[in-house]
Amino acid sequence: MKRLYAYCVGDQLADEMLEGASGVAGAPLLLLRRGRLAVVASPFEGKAVPATRENVLEHSRVNGLVLAHTTPLPFRFGTLADEQRLGEHLEKNEDALVSALARVRGCVEMGAKVIWDAAAQSEAQGAAEDEGRAVEASAQGAGTEFLLAKQRALKGAEALKARAEEVAALVAAGVEGLARESSVEVNPSGSLVVRAAHLVERGREEEYRERLRALGAGRDDLRLMLSGPWPPYSFSAPSA
Amino acid sequence: MSDAELILDEEEELSLLETLDHVLDRGLVIAGEVTIAVADVDLVYLGLNVLLGSVETVNRVLGVREQRLEYLRGLKPGGEAARPEGEG
Repeated sequence: MKRLYAYCVGDQLADEMLEGASGVAGAPLLLLRRGRLAVVASPFEGKAVPATRENVLEHSRVNGLVLAHTTPLPFRFGTLADEQRLGEHLEKNEDALVSALARVRGCVEMGAKVIWDAAAQSEAQGAAEDEGRAVEASAQGAGTEFLLAKQRALKGAEALKARAEEVAALVAAGVEGLARESSVEVNPSGSLVVRAAHLVERGREEEYRERLRALGAGRDDLRLMLSGPWPPYSFSAPSA
Repeated sequence: MSDAELILDEEEELSLLETLDHVLDRGLVIAGEVTIAVADVDLVYLGLNVLLGSVETVNRVLGVREQRLEYLRGLKPGGEAARPEGEG
């Protein structure tokens, strides 16, 4: 049974898109067709794909080649299946995959990560509350002080969460009318406070960059990392 | 190694980490068919966390990129924004 490494699935794939290119471990690329769908794949020897820099970049490069022509649904790195199993998967999920492809058609994924110094954000919040603390502490015993400290910690976490939500809202406002869909994670306690992916129409990538950069320009406490265009890695799951 | 070379390396690292972030953590899956050497993945995730955890590193790399963009904008008489490098 032939084992195949799968890169992406599409309904507008053609052999010409892959001409002269090779895949993971230098293997030749092929199209496995079933119904309205085709998968870009390459033969693979072995049980597991080593997650080396080279292999990861090959996976990304092949999907980038396809993205230059059409928007596919990219597989996660390391997807290996027998040819028969891969074919059955396409047949069984054809309608869902065709719908998922229609959802991303004409679009690319753009990424925005916002980085902040969570400790500095907490300190800024703490400084604002210092005055109140001094008054409280002077009039309380040890037990009450302990409970007040716990309450303050809780309040601090809530305030940090509110600040993080505010940053996420800023990003959302920035892509309003530009992103067809968004996938956003907010993590107030980490340095990567917002990790957002947006589905953006082809040709509007520069507008996306300009709008988000303009948002970041007024906020010295935030750093923005923009990336893309990507195949829609964050928008590949067929909707239930 | 000069500072400039070091910063270019870091920028390449950021670009690689963005790629890892996309291809390892997202994308279509066939149930039970993602087969990767787990120890390696743990290592790259560790790299991602360490790098993104280092705000100073990110600030330094992005700061240099912004300075370069400012410089390039200055060279263009129309003031049109130059395309950023090393993204995607």
